[in-house]
Amino acid sequence: MKLLVHMLATLTIIGILSGGLLSEVSKWAKPKIALHRKAETEKAIFLVQPDAKSQKKIETVDFEIYRVFDENNDPIGYALPYEGNGFQGNIRLMVGVKNDLKEIVGLQVLEQTETPGLGTKVTEEPFTNQFVKLVAEPNVGWVKGAPPKKTNEVQTITGATISSKAIVDIVNGGLQKLRDVKNSGVEL
Amino acid sequence: MKTKLTLSKEYIKGLWENNPVFKQVLGMCPALAVTVSALNGIAMALATTFVLVFSSLIISTFRKLIPSQVRIAAYILIIATFVTLVDLIMKAQFPSLSKELGPYIPLIVVNCLILGRQEAFSSKNTVFRSVVDALGMGTGFLIALFVLGGIREILGSRTILGLQVLPDFYEPWLIMILPAGAFLTLGFLMGFLNTYTERKKRLEREAILKKHIKPISDTPINTVEA
Amino acid sequence: MATVTANPTYKLELTSSPHVHSRWSTKQAMWMVVFALVPCIVSAILFFGIYQLTIIAVSVGFAVGTEAAIKYVRKRKITLNDGSALITGLLLALILPPNFNLAFVALGSIVAIALGKEIFGGLGYNIFNPALVGRAFLQASFPVQMTTWEQPNYAVDSVTSATPLASFKFDAVGTELNTMLIGNIGGSLGETSTIAILLGGLFLIAIGIVNYRIPLAMVIGVILFGGVFWLVDPAAYQNPLFHLLGGGFMFGALFMATDWVSSPLQSKGMWIYGFGIALVLILIRLFGGLPEGVMYAILFMNAFVPLINRYTQPTVFGGAK
Repeated sequence: MKLLVHMLATLTIIGILSGGLLSEVSKWAKPKIALHRKAETEKAIFLVQPDAKSQKKIETVDFEIYRVFDENNDPIGYALPYEGNGFQGNIRLMVGVKNDLKEIVGLQVLEQTETPGLGTKVTEEPFTNQFVKLVAEPNVGWVKGAPPKKTNEVQTITGATISSKAIVDIVNGGLQKLRDVKNSGVEL
Repeated sequence: MKTKLTLSKEYIKGLWENNPVFKQVLGMCPALAVTVSALNGIAMALATTFVLVFSSLIISTFRKLIPSQVRIAAYILIIATFVTLVDLIMKAQFPSLSKELGPYIPLIVVNCLILGRQEAFSSKNTVFRSVVDALGMGTGFLIALFVLGGIREILGSRTILGLQVLPDFYEPWLIMILPAGAFLTLGFLMGFLNTYTERKKRLEREAILKKHIKPISDTPINTVEA
Repeated sequence: MATVTANPTYKLELTSSPHVHSRWSTKQAMWMVVFALVPCIVSAILFFGIYQLTIIAVSVGFAVGTEAAIKYVRKRKITLNDGSALITGLLLALILPPNFNLAFVALGSIVAIALGKEIFGGLGYNIFNPALVGRAFLQASFPVQMTTWEQPNYAVDSVTSATPLASFKFDAVGTELNTMLIGNIGGSLGETSTIAILLGGLFLIAIGIVNYRIPLAMVIGVILFGGVFWLVDPAAYQNPLFHLLGGGFMFGALFMATDWVSSPLQSKGMWIYGFGIALVLILIRLFGGLPEGVMYAILFMNAFVPLINRYTQPTVFGGAK
């Protein structure tokens, strides 16, 4: 009996102390972590919409999307985080488009688990810069091994065709979703 | 009971003789998973050392108060507290490093190195001795992870700590920053280290034998009938 | 090698597999394999140019050199004259892309011998096919260079330089089967010409060095598994003949999967092994991210060989039923 009490008391005391300590630390860390997250999203938004001066989250839809504004507070487009399957795992990216959803302004890969040194090239500028001023209608296409001839095409990375195509597919999927929402009459 | 080591020996044994990775083969998950670069290795080892030292401190202080029937549960609680602490601090202060190490920081909880030291050392030794032991083990872990991460980074991305050390014409071996590269590097390192220590031991043995025993016979012993 | 001295004049050598009894000694068999690879070497020179000989030379040179060096360091008898290092080097060269960087060839060759064979204890002890280990290392290290294919010399159109499997997988472009049969296509040095491979392979089967069961099981397996998908949807999946002639299948079936050391010992095991390779291969080619999977299929099944051997062990005469 005495042992049981001793055992219970030990674990309870450790638990209480641990909980107390962690809740205090968490109180200090939580706002900082939230700030980092927000700064990260904001950074990505302004990277894919370089002309934007401010941004606002759209609350009328059930997915994450941001409206961006220029210095006169006029809406100039959207920044849409979207994800899909890559070669090895999930790829999450942010794509910036103009108001009419017909032209892409910029692209940024946020999270990926592609092959280091190969599939990870989709996060680098030579590839992502191809999306700047890219025509997105009817969709984004891709070519292999040669510079694109059409205005809506990007060139895939040698040896990382699958990762490159995955990015294109994710962009197309996200834009299609946006178009569908817009066509259904929801105010964006 | 073994004779007590001096404090400095207590520290040094973790670096080489009882190196957690190369000798005890503990903490393999972080040692293999995060060592794609030297910096990642250092960060992981420092986080682990922090948890190890503070857990050892607390556990050796209260070692006589914790009933042995629930000691493992108590140890895990204490370790998990410090791991969560590290995780929160890293997320708040070093967000990019925390992102790089990803789930492997919370996984320090299940690193056998930490629980192993509590069970084998802190629960039986004084506070000061336990902390010295934890520091030694942590340093040993740091050395191992730095060497692993360094070799993989040099061969796999031709840099060390972000600085380019190999010339441009050297084509990086991507395999070294893939999981396979971790196993290859660790295997080779352990192979070389074991060869070295085995040879040293053999030479010592032979020296002792030569001193005390004279050869009985030169003819080989017949083990199989022809 | 574990040698127990019983008597100064007699030696009992304890060795691991292969214990296959054959009218050929290991040494003779190895040289026959080299001879059988000559058509593939000729086709490599014919389609990709005389320069490919340097790749073969570098690969063989480093394989033999590595073997000798390791034997020397380990203070073992240098057994180069059994020709096994020569064959590993030769096989590795023939499954590399044309005009491959010579430094990479050397690296692959060193890895094939050191990590593929000697680290297990030398010929007879290795679990995996050494040449494929070398190639897998190169594939993981230099994926771009390993999938950059040269135009064959007599290319009909100069647009595509991809292998037939890759152009079908990524661009939905088919390749004519008779071109693939001759070998005038993009691909590794010795893998493209089915005719040349068959010439050498059938010779080895005829003289009894290569057992017909493994290649046959692989062919039947591919026709079976590939055929099912082809019948379901001929537009999305190529017909089984394309799989037989494409990529490294023929070369793998006749020269790689049949490696004495890393393949099963019993007839039943050989069938299981061959079907297993075919199944894994079809899964990789049809549903995997890579266009080609012969190498991984064979390496994968290599790992199962000890298990297969264990379960296909024939009952000892008089033993329990």
